[in-house]
Amino acid sequence: MNPVKLLLILCVQSIALPSEAQIRHRAMPFVNYTEVGGLFGRVVSGTQINEVVTNKTSLSVQTLCGVQITKRLAVGALVGIDWYKSALLMPVGGGVRFQLTQTSNRNASLFVSTDVGYALTWLHKSSTGYSITGGLMLNPGIGLRFGKPDKGGVLLTLGYKHQQAQAEKPLRWNEVSRSENRLYNRLSIRLGISI
Amino acid sequence: MVYKITTNAMKQTIYLITVLLLGLSQTACTDKCTETRVFKRFTPVVFTANQLRQTIGTETVRPLQDPGKIYTKDGFLFINEIKQGIHVIDNRNPESPKVVSFIRIPGNGDMAVRNNILYADSYMDLVALDIRDVTNIRQIKRVTNVFPSGQFNGGSWFVNTATGDVHDQRVDYVKEEIQTNCEEDVAPNWWGGVFAFDSRSIQSAAPSASSGQQQVSSGTAGSMARFALYDNYLYTVNSSTLQLFDIQNPADPQTGNKIQLGWGIETIFPYGDKLFIGSQTGMHIYDNRNPQKPERLSVFEHARVCDPVVIHDNKAYVTLRSGNNCQGFLNQLEVVDISNLLSPKLIKAYPLRNPHGLGIDFPNLFICEGAYGLKTFDASDALNIDRNLLEHFDQFDAYDVIPLGKSLLLIGKDGFYQFDYSNPRKLRLMSKIPVQRPGAIS
Repeated sequence: MNPVKLLLILCVQSIALPSEAQIRHRAMPFVNYTEVGGLFGRVVSGTQINEVVTNKTSLSVQTLCGVQITKRLAVGALVGIDWYKSALLMPVGGGVRFQLTQTSNRNASLFVSTDVGYALTWLHKSSTGYSITGGLMLNPGIGLRFGKPDKGGVLLTLGYKHQQAQAEKPLRWNEVSRSENRLYNRLSIRLGISI
Repeated sequence: MVYKITTNAMKQTIYLITVLLLGLSQTACTDKCTETRVFKRFTPVVFTANQLRQTIGTETVRPLQDPGKIYTKDGFLFINEIKQGIHVIDNRNPESPKVVSFIRIPGNGDMAVRNNILYADSYMDLVALDIRDVTNIRQIKRVTNVFPSGQFNGGSWFVNTATGDVHDQRVDYVKEEIQTNCEEDVAPNWWGGVFAFDSRSIQSAAPSASSGQQQVSSGTAGSMARFALYDNYLYTVNSSTLQLFDIQNPADPQTGNKIQLGWGIETIFPYGDKLFIGSQTGMHIYDNRNPQKPERLSVFEHARVCDPVVIHDNKAYVTLRSGNNCQGFLNQLEVVDISNLLSPKLIKAYPLRNPHGLGIDFPNLFICEGAYGLKTFDASDALNIDRNLLEHFDQFDAYDVIPLGKSLLLIGKDGFYQFDYSNPRKLRLMSKIPVQRPGAIS
């Protein structure tokens, strides 16, 4: 089965099917972390004697569907969309969420996350003469979860996102080949919900 | 259940992670996009006519360094070494081709063979060489000052009519890395080299055809050829003219008619009694029933790009590419209906990366994608060629091909390759003659 379809089915099951009570009583309940946010960074271009620094902001959406392995540890598969200006990438991979703190009384807890994957370009449409291929994605982060354990919560995550991609470019006068290796290194800030 | 916060160690961990992320945001949150491009750099050079005319002759074998066009006849293969001469290769056993000699011809780019006579350009001259003994090839005729200007590898040359000197450009390949903003094109970095003049040119390699009364035999050239043989004539094209040579006596070529074709002419491909001429603005179709004086039937026009052409039955396959002097930004294959030669019609266009030469052994269509390798298509369905990609080799450079029924001759910047395409979905490499170029790309 197509891995993205499988992931979607898993997500739908985790969100729609089990009731809260069911989750509570399962040995390994489903979890879902869905977040939307921005990727913030800058880029330095040009030559050494004429450098140009530009700030960059991109939309980022992702959902992780998985299981709660232990009270603290959840693992799952993720799919997302990162909308860089000239590349619409769809990272697919796996992620880990580990609760650093948790209380039954408090409404906030702290967790760390690590996502690893590979970006697909299925959603991307290139201009004539250009073509994009995806690459490795790494996304470690730290976040706050607002909400009681075993209930839905709101997430605020601060992370660092590294994304690789390759671009083939159309040739200009006198050129034999032209390609670009892209390393997106961004600060990611995301807001989301967890179930 | 309660998890208490946590020890001092945990607090320190959280603090450390936060500081680390904030630190990364300040120092490492910078995109790094590196554009790598290879381009040509031109350096002007000047030769006297005497220098060029006195240095022709057979030399010992040498490695391929900057191969150009290919030509084959009777099991022998001729590979042009751009502006240097021609490698002669005994290819009667394609699994093990043997380089037998090198013909030094300054300013050579194209060639054609009729019987035992090889015709080659040498800057402004046409030379005829006796190749009966491939280890001792001799010049038997030189037709002087028939080509006023030309182009090699994008670099232009011309003859100064006052002094007789040839002004040429040496071409070097330069690799350059540029930091881009990841999202937009960077303007070209002019190197201050000499730009090419307008695209006047005369290069070489040749298709073949013979209508023959007497016993004549001609070789086969690739689609990038500027030389073609038909009947008792050698046809050569430069940027704007079709220059005929009467070769009724092959050893004694005589200058024939000169026909103005218009601007940007690049390749010539004879098919039946028609000539298909590729130009930077379109494909010209000439009726060649009177070989002495071809007559234009029609022109199939397109955007300004380079465009070699091959024919099968009532379809023309034209590749358009950008780069070099071709300008334009189109890179595609066009299939043209030529059932009515007076009114050719586009059937369909397919996007490609950077197509150069092509060859057809229907239904197999071979397209050289320059630095992006070789693609094999099944062209049975002219409306769905893109869905019928049989194989794509992207590990080598491909400039031009000649399909010979079973074996495919391919030339590129990396070397000369021979493939067995009995199974077009899986070409089998039979042999390779690699390029040995010191410091090819700096």
